[in-house]
Amino acid sequence: MTPATKSKASSLASSKAFGAFAIVFAIAAPIVYVACELDNWPLFTFHPGTNRVDLGWAAPHANEGPAMYWYGWTATTLIVSALLGLVASWLPIRVSEKIPLFLIWLLPLPALAILAYVLMPFWTK
Amino acid sequence: MFDFISVNAFWTVLLIAHALLAVTTLGALTHQALSVAAPVWQPAGQRGFVTRFRAVQGAGYASAVCVLWVATFILGAWIYTKYRIAIRIPLERTGYWKTLGFFELKEHITTFGIVLLPAYWYFWKNAKNPAFDSARKWTTILLASMCWFAFLVGHVLNNARGFGS
Repeated sequence: MTPATKSKASSLASSKAFGAFAIVFAIAAPIVYVACELDNWPLFTFHPGTNRVDLGWAAPHANEGPAMYWYGWTATTLIVSALLGLVASWLPIRVSEKIPLFLIWLLPLPALAILAYVLMPFWTK
Repeated sequence: MFDFISVNAFWTVLLIAHALLAVTTLGALTHQALSVAAPVWQPAGQRGFVTRFRAVQGAGYASAVCVLWVATFILGAWIYTKYRIAIRIPLERTGYWKTLGFFELKEHITTFGIVLLPAYWYFWKNAKNPAFDSARKWTTILLASMCWFAFLVGHVLNNARGFGS
């Protein structure tokens, strides 16, 4: 790591605004991801058989193999969560300091339980 | 590129690189998770293997774990395009539904892991702030658990249909 990179990392680590961004980003992402998965909101659909990309949700095209939505769900999640994190970084410190930190590691657990339930056809076949 | 290397060899090299990065991430995160779950308060010295294993300075691993997770994720996402056609469809035909289900869960988990990284990194870079102690500990343990799950599922899937398929 160069001295310039080290100094940038150190200023990021001491930035309360970055802290608020990172915390809200981590809290929002599992909620956004589950919503994307349940309501089918991929930013784009990828068709690996033809390397075609469609904006938003698209059904598999006839004779072109399956469609993949995970890339699109991930992209939607990253963008929406980053926007929410950006809003949080503008909050006054006295407000952002009150965000409960346990939500960061707790929320992924029920979110994963929901996603595992959605995968029920795989468990029962 | 495929004038120099066969398509099969290309994907095999990519899969091996993905696996090696995953092993490195797993090792770093396991060290770090044990160092916060069961910290060693005195120098480990001549004590046993487990004590020395958990006696590492966790903060020193944070940036490396972030870089490794992202690199493993990008390679995995690339290989996933090949998996969807060459691996998943034959496994569906042969009825490996639970293996495929766990792999679907793995893709969700790796995304959940990547979104935790900025907060995880921030907590470790402020390791002297007691306000982050609990969040740092549980976020690290969660990330390590996710890494173990992803690694084992990937390993089993590779056993079902992996290298050279």
